[in-house]
Amino acid sequence: MLAPLFERFSRAAIDAGATVEQIPRSSTALASAIRRVTGEARRIAFANAIDLPSDPFEECRRAPNVVTARSRIELSSLDAGITEAFAGIARTGSVCVSVDHGEAGTISLLARMHIAVLASETIIERPADLFRPDCLGAKGLHRNFVFITGPSATADMGPLVRGVHGPHRLHLIVLA
Amino acid sequence: MPANISPSIPSPRSVADKSDKSALLAAIRMALQVESSAVRHNTQSFNRGRYAATSAIPDYETLKDKARAIKEDSLARLPELLAALEASVSRNGGHFHLAPTAADASRYVAEVCREAGVRLVVKGKSMTSEEIGLNRALDALGIQVVETDLAEFILQVADEQPSHIIAPAIHYSRERITALFKRSFRTDLPLATGEELTAFARGRLREKFLQADAGITGANFIAADSGTLVLVESEANIRMASLLPPLHIAIAGVEKIVPSRKDFGPFLELLAASATGQPMTSYTSVISPPLKAAPVLAEGDAPPRQFHLVLVDNGRLNLGQDECLREALYCIRCGACLNSCSNFQTVGGHAFGGETYSGGIGGTWESATRGLQNARFSELCTGCSRCVPQCPVRIDIPWLNTVLRQRLGQLDVGKRPAPNPLAPSADSGASLSRLFFARYDLLAKWGSRFPKFSNWIGQFAPARVLLERLFDVDRRRHLPLFASPTLVEASRQLRLDQPQARKDGSSRKSVLFADVFTNYGSISRGLAALRVLRALGVDVVVSNVVADGRATLSQGLIAAAARQAERTVALLRPYLKDGRDIIVVEPSVLAMFHHDYRHLLKSGPAGELLQTLRERSFEATEYVGMVLQENQINAAEVFPALRHPLGTKLFYHSHCQQKTMGCAAPTELLLRAAGFDVVTSQVECCGMAGSFGYKKDFYELSLAVAEDLFAQVRKAESGGRRILVASGTSCQEQLQAGLGRPVLHPLELLGETLRQAVVASVP
Repeated sequence: MLAPLFERFSRAAIDAGATVEQIPRSSTALASAIRRVTGEARRIAFANAIDLPSDPFEECRRAPNVVTARSRIELSSLDAGITEAFAGIARTGSVCVSVDHGEAGTISLLARMHIAVLASETIIERPADLFRPDCLGAKGLHRNFVFITGPSATADMGPLVRGVHGPHRLHLIVLA
Repeated sequence: MPANISPSIPSPRSVADKSDKSALLAAIRMALQVESSAVRHNTQSFNRGRYAATSAIPDYETLKDKARAIKEDSLARLPELLAALEASVSRNGGHFHLAPTAADASRYVAEVCREAGVRLVVKGKSMTSEEIGLNRALDALGIQVVETDLAEFILQVADEQPSHIIAPAIHYSRERITALFKRSFRTDLPLATGEELTAFARGRLREKFLQADAGITGANFIAADSGTLVLVESEANIRMASLLPPLHIAIAGVEKIVPSRKDFGPFLELLAASATGQPMTSYTSVISPPLKAAPVLAEGDAPPRQFHLVLVDNGRLNLGQDECLREALYCIRCGACLNSCSNFQTVGGHAFGGETYSGGIGGTWESATRGLQNARFSELCTGCSRCVPQCPVRIDIPWLNTVLRQRLGQLDVGKRPAPNPLAPSADSGASLSRLFFARYDLLAKWGSRFPKFSNWIGQFAPARVLLERLFDVDRRRHLPLFASPTLVEASRQLRLDQPQARKDGSSRKSVLFADVFTNYGSISRGLAALRVLRALGVDVVVSNVVADGRATLSQGLIAAAARQAERTVALLRPYLKDGRDIIVVEPSVLAMFHHDYRHLLKSGPAGELLQTLRERSFEATEYVGMVLQENQINAAEVFPALRHPLGTKLFYHSHCQQKTMGCAAPTELLLRAAGFDVVTSQVECCGMAGSFGYKKDFYELSLAVAEDLFAQVRKAESGGRRILVASGTSCQEQLQAGLGRPVLHPLELLGETLRQAVVASVP
């Protein structure tokens, strides 16, 4: 029998170089998880969530290291960028992040570390499932999104290097 | 040593154009001296990764069928899908341009950039943009183009062409990149690790991303009904190029269209697994540009986003009309056919490739986009077929290269290449050397009539010089000896050619096909097969000898191969009617029946028999294993390994086409079941590949390919000698050439341990 979706998702994501944790679904738990992961980070930014219910990042935004100005230099020097992910893929360990709503696209791309937050019930089996009309309920599939599978990486410089143009680290927080 | 230090070694650029054969030979020498070790290391690492990743996909074969069906459907409906895509893109607010030629595509992009006042372009990896020579067109307008894929960045710095369709700088070792960067950027930084090199490049390129006025990317798949692009990458440079600047231009071949987003599914899983051996690469963007979120770069007033989709024809629509080569359009550019190719693993795409496209699939692409004469490097395809099961859209790449071989021959004699490869005149361009290798059957027939004379000639130095001059047969190669008597003659003498009715033993009836390689060359393999099968109670007879078409096909003489195929099927028909299985000793001949005949016997009575022939023909050792299993005979009792005079430890190398047909594993299983301690080779092909390694032009390459195999034997023998065993004739020759020791066929080995009494007592 296959292991539960979350376990397979988690294993595949770790194989791809991400880190994964599952936390209770509360804004306090989320805020403390993000504090734990961002640690000493001096500059972090949040993208507005549109798929997760209410505003999951409300509590987190009060932290002193959160920046809100959005010049290109500021975006490019982020230590951590936090976005939601609207789906997870068990087979590949990927998360799906909308890139055309607010700043999720750039924040998930330019920050040194990307933290993606997703609801456990949005983890599906395989990438192809996403394109089924009934997959994510009535909301339907985002028009512009990216499957993110581990941090940016390259094998062009000889050995495998994690951390190229995009984030050097990917942390996934699954809301149980 | 960097290529540009020694004047005697050509630079990759200087051999990019291989329309002349001397450039191909120079490129092979250059690659063997400079690039081989990095290419070998990197391709083999991709190759292992792909095997691991694809074996983790539970419905891998079904996904491939789905992917193939989507591509077939899309290409069949191309005009309709192009119209739908054009409508979708403009509905989304973008611009669509169908470029008939490379020049037109470049001109369009340059014009768009000029009108938008672009000064700096960040570019993602795109083979199509290489194909159309885009950078030159933008340079000419004074627009700076920065390649941001790290491999393309290396090539831009080094001014070289790609050597691999997904890893364009695969020929660069870490050490050579360090040397290149230190020299080109005049830096004292150590740059001694992959991390340091990456950080260095990231720093330089991040600045460019933030300043760029335009981003140019390719596209892996495009949905016609929504104008959605799939962009597959790992470094995040394509995300940058498509997201940050206000202007995004995507350039792709027309063949990238699929009907709708739901058709992306199978490809998303197949592409990364087949390419880099990952379930998915770091980033797979699914976007329908222009995006709505404001471009990041803008300070103050954000200019509106602009998107242009440039679809390139440049020979593709013509390729779609080519009955033989059309399926190359299904290619999704995963590079599996490059990574699984022994020749490619040894020289890479600077030798086995053209200006843009490389490897087995590259010949057809260069031919379609730049002209047939640029496909000359496809000669490095030996037809070993290892790429065939690796292709996610099931393209028969060896067949494409065989067709190119025939057409190049016609081109060389000044004829217009015939579209129908089966037309008798289509073979007329074959060179003397090709005719020599193609008609091995005639040579062997006469050679084995006068074996003393012909075998003496084969070792007589002046004769070898002549053979080399006239027919390109390398004088350093030991030529296989002609046998007398032949297998057919010997089996008659030993009365092994008559049916043998037995009440006990196997109920199977069979015929051993006397292929030309076994009949005139290594008859002991054939005799061993007969002896073993008879001992197992199989009613086996021997057929007459007939050329099956393998030798002619390998030289691109397709029409001749088709005639031979018809004669072969005519010879085998009565045996099949009589309920006999067809047993084949030489794996490359069995591959003709299973695989290649479908191209040669499309219609007529021979074509109708093909399915039966495929189902009822077996590799000899595989067949022995089947008979044992059906009769519940224990291999260890019939073939007790301990009885073998040379011991029980062996090294087994299976034949490339045998692996592709799935009959390598049964042989290994049988040898182990008999009690042998078996170490198997872990190479795709030995490098001899039939006639390939005998040719003067490819002798060094052939032996360089075999180095891995020889090294594996030496490693396996660190604890003592092993018996060398191989199933293919030319593999045996290659192993013998490299290791100086005789090589046995599995059935010769098993035959020497046979305990007839045990079999006779089985009810």
